[in-house]
Amino acid sequence: MTLLAPWALWFLVVAGGVVALYLLKIKRRSATVPALDFWLSLAGQTKVHTLWNRLKRLLSMLLWLVIVTCLILALGNPILSLGKIKPRAIAVVIDNSASMQAIEKDDGASEGETRLALARKAVEEISRGRPVADEWLLIEAGREPRVLQAWTFDAKAVRTAAGKVTPFGGKGDVAAGVELAGQLTAGKNDPCIVVISDGAAGSVQQLATSNPGLIYWPIGTSTDNIGIGQLAVRPHRQNGNYQALITLVNASDVKVDTSVTLEVDGRSQSVELASIEPGATWEKVVAIEAPTGGVLRASIDRADALAADNEAYAILEPIRPAVVWLVTPRDSAFFFEQALGSMNELVWAEESLTLPPAQFAAAWDAAHAASKPAEAQPGTNNTASIDTTIRKPDLVIFNGWTPDKLPAIGRFVVVNGCPAELGTLGGEIAEPSLHVVPRPHPLMQHVTLQGARVAKGEKATLKQPARVLANSADGDPLLFLVDQPSRQVLCLAFDVVASDLPFRNAFPLLLRNTVSFMHEEAPSWLRSGYAVGETVRPVRTLPANTTKLAAKALSAGKQVDLDLPVKDGTFTYDGTFTPGALRVQVGDEASFAAINIGDEHESRIAVAAAAEDPAQKLGLSRGLLGAMPWTLLACVAAFGVAFEWLSYHLRWTE
Amino acid sequence: MPSDTAIKEPGAGRRGRNGSSLFDADFLKKLETLNLIARQLVRGRRAAMRPSIKKGASIEFKDFREYSPGDDPRTVDWMAYARLGELFIKLFRQEEELDLWVLLDRSTSMNFGEPNKFDHARRIAAALAYIGMSNMDSASVLPFDEGLAQGMPRLRGKGPVLRVMDYLEGLTTAPATDFEKTAQMFMSRVRRPGIVVVISDFYGLQRARAGLDRLRFMKHQMHVVQVVSPWERDPPLRGELKLVDAETGQQQNLTITDGLLKKYKAAYEGLSTDLRAYSMKYSIGFDQAHTDVAFDEFVRRVLQHGRLLA
Repeated sequence: MTLLAPWALWFLVVAGGVVALYLLKIKRRSATVPALDFWLSLAGQTKVHTLWNRLKRLLSMLLWLVIVTCLILALGNPILSLGKIKPRAIAVVIDNSASMQAIEKDDGASEGETRLALARKAVEEISRGRPVADEWLLIEAGREPRVLQAWTFDAKAVRTAAGKVTPFGGKGDVAAGVELAGQLTAGKNDPCIVVISDGAAGSVQQLATSNPGLIYWPIGTSTDNIGIGQLAVRPHRQNGNYQALITLVNASDVKVDTSVTLEVDGRSQSVELASIEPGATWEKVVAIEAPTGGVLRASIDRADALAADNEAYAILEPIRPAVVWLVTPRDSAFFFEQALGSMNELVWAEESLTLPPAQFAAAWDAAHAASKPAEAQPGTNNTASIDTTIRKPDLVIFNGWTPDKLPAIGRFVVVNGCPAELGTLGGEIAEPSLHVVPRPHPLMQHVTLQGARVAKGEKATLKQPARVLANSADGDPLLFLVDQPSRQVLCLAFDVVASDLPFRNAFPLLLRNTVSFMHEEAPSWLRSGYAVGETVRPVRTLPANTTKLAAKALSAGKQVDLDLPVKDGTFTYDGTFTPGALRVQVGDEASFAAINIGDEHESRIAVAAAAEDPAQKLGLSRGLLGAMPWTLLACVAAFGVAFEWLSYHLRWTE
Repeated sequence: MPSDTAIKEPGAGRRGRNGSSLFDADFLKKLETLNLIARQLVRGRRAAMRPSIKKGASIEFKDFREYSPGDDPRTVDWMAYARLGELFIKLFRQEEELDLWVLLDRSTSMNFGEPNKFDHARRIAAALAYIGMSNMDSASVLPFDEGLAQGMPRLRGKGPVLRVMDYLEGLTTAPATDFEKTAQMFMSRVRRPGIVVVISDFYGLQRARAGLDRLRFMKHQMHVVQVVSPWERDPPLRGELKLVDAETGQQQNLTITDGLLKKYKAAYEGLSTDLRAYSMKYSIGFDQAHTDVAFDEFVRRVLQHGRLLA
């Protein structure tokens, strides 16, 4: 027998106290009565020193010693071992991913409890059931593995740490947790890793197969779950709407007929019926009519084991035509204006400008000094509130002129020139015909310029890495794209207006592709989507003078206003506990991000079976008569107290 | 030997067992109230003047008897002599005082409880004596323990009431009690029937009965008052205790359980029941004086029932 809490033996002093009290006799309280004979006549027996009374005192003392010993042993939490089990270093990896939030209802023993709650109980069972003094380590396998309890011989500390494990709403990384546990068990005596998980879609089973020291402790039995595996949205600028791709996963063992509701900012847009075979997925692209944008929420109205994957969010960025500035000498502006004027759905004619080169700098400064909202759609009521200040351009086309230094942020098309910081032009190309590079690029979609002659082509020497889209016959780059994190520049090292008719015919198409491509890729401060539990950070450095950002978070159906402190040009947001959305305002620019579980494996909650009984492999003690020894000892002590109480009442005199 | 206590000067430090004043101004006021009630109850009849079976000098005619030498010639009925020619003398009913004897148990068992039984008993004794004296009865308080103490002489009138109080004030308790011997001593000292009030807790009822029987045969009008404290009715004892006898100082370890406590309560109730039954059987007045009930309420109740003044 091993005591898990040997410190309890110190209480054996109490047993000595019991003996001392019986030997010394407890001093009785004195009470004066008017007539003692009256009492004695009632009590009957008045002889004190009879043999029976002495024996009774001895038996009473022995009974109390038994009671005290049982209580102390119970406090010591004894475990019976047969001497075969030796102490080990046990690293417990507890899976707290989204699938561990599934509620187990089928099993009578775990009524209405989450798998994570069952995992906590498993930690308790394991830590209490080992009959020897093991060394323990507890690791949480969330998005990133985290040590919750460093190596300790105190099993209670492990149980306490396990009780504090919080559910993580996203995809867990059990493999990383096992890897961390492997690193931390190195050099330990007889180490083993216990993974308490629902199997993480079978990955733990594979880990257990490849690692003999790993013991897989499966949690849960339920499989009844339908989840949203994916919700992706893209704007269809030509149609002025969005296309949403939704994927449902059926993790259950039966065919499920269900429906998924799509709503934008709380207004229902569509209800799609889905019939999904067991274990299969269902996909559909749905058109969403919401030109002013919003937050798209997809939800499944079905009470299944895992509620967390029954909703997903996506951000619908407002569909807005691009504001294009044309910086060109007056005499060559007409061609470009005609080309831009033919694409009403892409170019916001009312806000676009044609500027002579001399006014560019002033206009640029004026546009960036203003804080004009950029989300409004022309033709809607919002336009009435737009003031007359210059709106920031989404794209600037320089024709025949280039500023000495291009702005650090923005999208630019440079015709018949090349910014000095990107490259230099020098030497006319003898045979300036275009040879399109075969690698496909969105800019070159539907544009066939092979062999088209261009005018005034010059040899370009590039200073920055660039994606060359078309060369001259000699291999000199004539059409190239410099794609930087905050800046995109498309350079045409020739004169478009003076080029041959085929090119001039194709140029509007190239320009359309450019406007669509660059506007679509308008820089945001956030990624479009984050996983639940992931820390949100800006994708690029924030403006230098920013100290605080206003943000709104949509989480669990509630909208919360936030103030995000900015330090060293970045911020962090850790509140991504549940699917939702986040809006961050940087200056006059609003950036949006959706937060989703983002992994269909978390929806597949079927539990992989363990290859062998983990309790047996761990050598857990099952106790006596199916109960833990301390409970039996406590019962014996309680019985002893009851017996002593009864005998006390029978013992009138001593 | 029964001990006695010297009579103190009136008004000298009347203190109770717990240090409070035993006979204070309030007590005297209550006595006066009780006395008024007693006067109303006797309705003008002089309670002290009781008809006697003895013949003596009074204005109430009772009988004739033949003259014999030595008779008072003033009692000769001359009218009868004129008619019959023989000498007859007129006999008148003799009027005699009715004495009130208050026998007060002063054993140590009485010195118990809160409020103290002995204090309560002394107040009752003082009240009864005062009522007796002020209604022109003679009254006397005789404490007893193992025997009858000398006690107070017979007193009458309101005047000596302070002497009675001082006497009771200075009274102390004695270790043991023997009411049978007390009764014997009382009989040898008092031969004329009167009203005898015995105030005691009546533990040792058998010996008390023997004493009451003796008094009863002396034609006394008997009345017993059992003094009861709340502690005795419901003693707050539990667990392992060392019980000490208040009278003898004898000690005994005892485990007081719920069962034993229940037995005690039943036995104590039985003691009172037996005493009451005995009293009813022999036409003895019986009352329980609870120490948590004010003494004047008790005396008033006794007076209203007319037991002492009938």
